[in-house]
Amino acid sequence: MRKDITVAAESRGSRGKNEARRLRMAGSMPAVVYGGTEGPVAVAVSPKEVARILNSKTGHNTIFNLTVGGGTDTPVMIVDWQFDPIKDSLLHVDLKRIDLTKRIAVKVPVVTHGDPRGVKIQGGIHEIITREVEIECLPEDIPEQFDVDISELGLNESIRASDIKMKAEIVLISPADQVISHVVSLRAEVEAPAEVAAVAEPEVIKKGKKDEAAAPAADAGGKKAPDAGAKKAPEPGAKKK
Amino acid sequence: MLMPKKVKYRKQQRGRMTGKAWRGSQLSFGDFGLKSMSCGWVTNRQIEAARIAMTRFIKRGGKVWIRVFPDKPITKKPPETRMGKGKGAPEAWVAVVRPGKILFEMEGVPLSVATEAMRLAAMKLSVPTKLIIRPTPTDI
Repeated sequence: MRKDITVAAESRGSRGKNEARRLRMAGSMPAVVYGGTEGPVAVAVSPKEVARILNSKTGHNTIFNLTVGGGTDTPVMIVDWQFDPIKDSLLHVDLKRIDLTKRIAVKVPVVTHGDPRGVKIQGGIHEIITREVEIECLPEDIPEQFDVDISELGLNESIRASDIKMKAEIVLISPADQVISHVVSLRAEVEAPAEVAAVAEPEVIKKGKKDEAAAPAADAGGKKAPDAGAKKAPEPGAKKK
Repeated sequence: MLMPKKVKYRKQQRGRMTGKAWRGSQLSFGDFGLKSMSCGWVTNRQIEAARIAMTRFIKRGGKVWIRVFPDKPITKKPPETRMGKGKGAPEAWVAVVRPGKILFEMEGVPLSVATEAMRLAAMKLSVPTKLIIRPTPTDI
């Protein structure tokens, strides 16, 4: 969905993790713009503005204008982003130039509404399996989200991607039988049996061929196959220490 | 308790726990999560105790996901044993956790219930944690 937002970006000539860290310390964030007819450009953008777009209702599907170094506005979309695992701050974003006349594939969130009948009356559990579906449409036609009413969903029933009501110009790319949400019966919590005295060890995957292959060879020689853990007998002629 | 079915080697070296958990650091399944804020070993006993504490508190209606698996064997020598004579016997299974790793996820319960259930679970673990909530979209 296109929004009338303009984000200013500065072209950056420096590369590498040290420069990227300095950029972040200065209150900016490294980003890259690619796609369309022009080549990729490394830029620096404000993380606050990008985070505001990412946390909006239209999210990463927001098409906004990017101005690099005070030049012309280019419609772009956030296609990839990276968060710091601890601070949850934005580290980097990939911006893609969008041709407003060409169809694109995007992931749109699916939001469920209502309390399912299977939960209220039949005592099941409602589970959301898929939160996004992939569609293909023109950039102007990207919906904010798909709303699905699940109030009539009974026990052991599911809503699939094909059940989502879409406009005629939107094509579903995700598998049509992909489950969006379902209501399943509650599984009783099975109490674990009392602690076994000796904790069973997992099986160790052995190297080389199995014993079946070694056994006939041992039989042919009239000797018993040696144990895996047995010590090797010293070779005749070996020096003693 | 969680442990591998098959292993290639019975014993492992201890290894290092440097860096952050870049993988598995965002919510994937549920609406709430428990994120590790430092590195450490989380044993299968701790994971089981945390899971039981959570599921007993939420009683019914919610769903819990465990995002870590204890696949590292830890050995220990018996007490009053002299040094040497090889590495000790496998004693426990641990998951190597780095800061930022989501340990548990939960769905289908209100925020207040999830907060208390995660607090109870966090008390069973050997790493400091924090509650993560799926953000609600806002207007631009």
